[in-house]
Amino acid sequence: MSDFYDDENFDDGFQENADGRINLALWQQLLGYVLAYPREVSMLAISAFFTAICEIAFPLITRQVIDGVETEGADFDILFYGAVYFGFVVLLAISVASFIWFGGKIRTHVSHDIRRAGFDNLQKLSFAYFDFRPVGWLMARMTSDCERLSNILAWGLLDLILGTTMMIGIAIAMLWMDVSMALTILCVIPALVWLSLFFQKRILRSAREVRKTNSRITGSFNESIMGVQTSKAFVKESENARQFGELTDNMFDASVLNKVQAALYLPLVLVLGSIASGLAIVFGGLEVGWGLVTTGTLIAFLAYARHFFEPIEQLANLFAEMQMAQASAERIISLIEADSDVADAPHVVMRLDTSYPPNLAEDGYEARIKQIQFQDVYFQYDIGGPVLTDINLDIHQGENIAIVGSTGGGKSSLVSLLCRFYEPTAGKILIDGIDYRDRGLHWLQSQLGVVLQSSHIFGGRVIDNIRYGRLDATDQEVFAAANRAGAHDFIADLELGYQTEVGEGGSKLSAGQKQLISFARAILADPQILIMDEATSSVDTVTEQHIQKGLAELLQGRISLVIAHRLSTIRNADRILVIEQGRIIESGSHEVLMELGSRYSKLYRQQSLAAFSTTGDHWQT
Amino acid sequence: MDDRGKAKLLWQVSAGYRLIFATAILAMAVGYVFMFGVPLLARLAIDLITAPESLTLPGWVSVVAPDVDPSTNNLPLLIFAAGLTVLLTAIAGVFLYFRGRLVALASEGIVRQLRDRIYSHLEHLPSRYHDQADTGDLVQRCSSDMETVRVFLAGQVVEISRATLMLVIVLPILFSLNSEMAWLSLVTMPFLFVFATIFFQRVKRLFLEVDESEARMTTVLQENLTGIRVVRAFARQAFEIDKFAERNRDFRDQNTRLIKLLGVYYGLSDLICLGQICLLLVAGAFRVVDGTLTVGTLFAFLTYVSMIIWPIRQMGRVLTDSGKAIVSMGRLAEVLFEPIESQHEIAPAGRLSGEIKFQNLFFGYEPGKAILKDVNFSVSAGQTLAILGAPGSGKSTIAQLMMRLYDYDRGSIELDGYELSELKRKYVRAQISIVMQEAFLYSANIRDNLKVGRIDASPAEIERAAIDADIHESILRFPRGYDSLVGERGVTLSGGQRQRLALARALLKQPPILILDDALSAVDTDTEATILAALKERRKGQTTLIIAHRLSTVLHADKIIVLAGGKVVQSGNHHSLSTSPGIYQQLCEIQGAIQQQLETDIIDVAKTQ
Repeated sequence: MSDFYDDENFDDGFQENADGRINLALWQQLLGYVLAYPREVSMLAISAFFTAICEIAFPLITRQVIDGVETEGADFDILFYGAVYFGFVVLLAISVASFIWFGGKIRTHVSHDIRRAGFDNLQKLSFAYFDFRPVGWLMARMTSDCERLSNILAWGLLDLILGTTMMIGIAIAMLWMDVSMALTILCVIPALVWLSLFFQKRILRSAREVRKTNSRITGSFNESIMGVQTSKAFVKESENARQFGELTDNMFDASVLNKVQAALYLPLVLVLGSIASGLAIVFGGLEVGWGLVTTGTLIAFLAYARHFFEPIEQLANLFAEMQMAQASAERIISLIEADSDVADAPHVVMRLDTSYPPNLAEDGYEARIKQIQFQDVYFQYDIGGPVLTDINLDIHQGENIAIVGSTGGGKSSLVSLLCRFYEPTAGKILIDGIDYRDRGLHWLQSQLGVVLQSSHIFGGRVIDNIRYGRLDATDQEVFAAANRAGAHDFIADLELGYQTEVGEGGSKLSAGQKQLISFARAILADPQILIMDEATSSVDTVTEQHIQKGLAELLQGRISLVIAHRLSTIRNADRILVIEQGRIIESGSHEVLMELGSRYSKLYRQQSLAAFSTTGDHWQT
Repeated sequence: MDDRGKAKLLWQVSAGYRLIFATAILAMAVGYVFMFGVPLLARLAIDLITAPESLTLPGWVSVVAPDVDPSTNNLPLLIFAAGLTVLLTAIAGVFLYFRGRLVALASEGIVRQLRDRIYSHLEHLPSRYHDQADTGDLVQRCSSDMETVRVFLAGQVVEISRATLMLVIVLPILFSLNSEMAWLSLVTMPFLFVFATIFFQRVKRLFLEVDESEARMTTVLQENLTGIRVVRAFARQAFEIDKFAERNRDFRDQNTRLIKLLGVYYGLSDLICLGQICLLLVAGAFRVVDGTLTVGTLFAFLTYVSMIIWPIRQMGRVLTDSGKAIVSMGRLAEVLFEPIESQHEIAPAGRLSGEIKFQNLFFGYEPGKAILKDVNFSVSAGQTLAILGAPGSGKSTIAQLMMRLYDYDRGSIELDGYELSELKRKYVRAQISIVMQEAFLYSANIRDNLKVGRIDASPAEIERAAIDADIHESILRFPRGYDSLVGERGVTLSGGQRQRLALARALLKQPPILILDDALSAVDTDTEATILAALKERRKGQTTLIIAHRLSTVLHADKIIVLAGGKVVQSGNHHSLSTSPGIYQQLCEIQGAIQQQLETDIIDVAKTQ
């Protein structure tokens, strides 16, 4: 499915172009990854070289043998030459095994290294980078693009060395044996080069079309299975089949085109080869007759005429591949080199490099957060209008704040700014009077505990998921955290308790269970700042009461920001912020805001009147 | 799936393409016959040069070039041999081109047929099948197993026939040239074949392990990218980098191990192949010295053996891959031989009026686990029925049974007096519009998603439905309005927006019956009121079933039934139910309590003022 993002449906500004020039600087940059393995590269070069030497040697030995038996007859030492021939066979076998070894090692290691560099950088990039790049797009860069490029780099290097050595070697051997015959045969080369470039480019392009269509077909299958009930309900089966039929028709056309191109190319190469052989037969035959060359030479020429074509085909293919893969290369380089717009400034890095007494934070300031201030904060994303306007806010140690307001009003953005997932476009956020851009990013984010609306669970065991909050927590501490989150009971009921595998993305857990686990995770982290984004929406009421109890305890002495819809959560907050269209329009305790009789009291009244479910007491907007 | 099943499936889907396939193989055979003529010409040329006096020209040569005496002037014969070499290769080339083209037509055609068939089959499999099936597994069958079968048809079948044909054509030539040398040419081939087969059988497991370690790496990557907020919020970048590094390294090392083994294999098989040629060269040379073999014939042997030995080397791999194709074929056959929903029922002419009657209905998704127990209710045409009940009480099951997504076990459901199970499924579904709990939207633009409701809906009708579902304004706010794509590559929709789109889609359909299955749960109450009012305005004689758990949603229904544990425990309307003791009344009381508390709040506020 990751190939899906290679096509033009997602415009990322990189163009596939089969006719473009090869951007050498770009490939040089990638070649750097290959040259990180100098030993392997030299071994690859050496084994490629020896492979070529062997390939060139065989016809020469055959020539020797044939001329020998022709001229010397029984006096000729056939076995000696047989042994030499076999010696080269052994050398070739070793060289082949060795270039596969070293080429393979380079390929897998380069792919690994590029992927690693990409992953490391992805961990640094700010959220702004992820906002406009779907996960599928990133996955395609990190998987298929990496494989594709490392293939081209490693095997391309091999083809380059092997191909050039062979072409040069064969040319030299032919010229050495007989100049005029060699030149006659080499006449075919330009035609072959042109033919190969012409076809390889087209074959690759149509192969690409096949891949693209194929990934659309997979997407279609996926959609038809996921949406089978809807398709049935709207009796959409035949319409779906018609649309799918169009896709498979496209696939048929593209695949057949691709195969026909290949089916055309191969015979043409064969015919060109036979022309070379034909020339060798006529000219060689004449020259043998005139006594200019031996029969063995003629036979060697016939063999070389066949061998000369492989390297040209391979090099043409490499050239076309490089053109096609250039966009992939640009994409992955752009990913590795992208700079994060949220990062520690140089002066902060300097502070971080110093060591401080244990009671201070890693950046040398006070570790305890007493106050957070938003001063005239404005914010907008890279695309779109202002999201937050003129936000001024003072949050004190231990204060619990609830944030309410319409969807899209800026609630989550406010929280993201506090977490420094983004930084303000204008204005400042101060932690104990210091601009948070002057403090360590890692330090601030280690002080956070976050529970999101759709809780993210990693594949693995329950216990690992909770321990994600604090990696060095003991089992007992994990159990205690689960207990406080109200998660212990359901976990104990699972087949293997805390050791139960939760499946990919937590697929074996219900939405409510996932919430509880992410709760336990946040509790275990023991953060100074607790953030909850509609965290309790999928938990049933009994469970929620469980959590509420634990939460009250947890919130003690911590700064908390809770984006909530449930009245119970909101009412108990120290302060409630009402955010509409990017501004804080009301701020105060439940009582104060009810008294104000404005937006909050209207919201509250609406909800309590109508938000009611038969499960008994499920409040929601 | 037994082999007969697989063979049967292959036979069925290859209908119409078998002749093309056979022609392709025939073209290949003819092509190779011509191609294998070429070394004979080279042999002729060489013998002509080296030993013209002892050469007996084949009869056909004197026909094409009658006046030539090879011992004095061999130029015409050389030109003739060269020209014929090019000509034979060209003819072979034409046939090989046709082989390529025909194989492509046949194999791609068969795969297209197979794809279309499995797609349509999946859409017609009963809901019960889809409930237990694993989506990822099904998609994999349709993509990678399909690809394996495709490669088998386009590649392996051709490779196997190629190697076989080559042997069949070359062996008689070799034996007619020199039977001793022919035997010598074959000496290593059995070893090569057996070695390759055993090798690929052995590394099959390793290929699998590499795939698995790649999958493990991809999973970590995917989880990291989708959970990036959590990673950052807990400042776990270093931990994630380590975790990924481990999987990345593992994949690298597994893959390296596999490639190294392949290196050994190719090295060893090159040793055998070229050793074979070396053997021929030496043995041939001795015979040339003896005078029992001409140089030309030796050359022909060397050429022929190097032509056929590489395809034979490939056989080990091809046969192993064919084994995979058989497994894949079986996995596809498993899906395709699964029985589809029944299609034989009747479809009355015209529209239903929308009268619904459930009588003594029992149903369970799994045997022995009844979800609905003896359900009875009826709705007259044009009425609104609300169904209330706790989660798991069977509300959605009623909707699904009405859509004939499942077949009921006992009792009866009547639509306009027709027994539901005797009506054609597609007919029933065309009579009902449903908005499901989890709205599924297609990865198309918004307009096309709405058109799912009615394919020929006019822009005005689409807009009207969107307005009634209170989603029009939101759509206009998207960057490309109705043309915005839905999903990861387009706009991200909130739960409420998805539900309202699904509602608009259902409204476009305008059938006699509308079912809202908890369809407004993610919509706020203000909007819900607006939508319900628009619906009331809109439905002209439409029978409406509303499944909900908010009182506000069901308040104005003509009839309300309360489900508990799969049974109808109460039925009536708001007035009758709220005045008689029961669950409904309790619900109203709780709501009363809330209102009371709210009032106290307001009084408190008033007091402090």
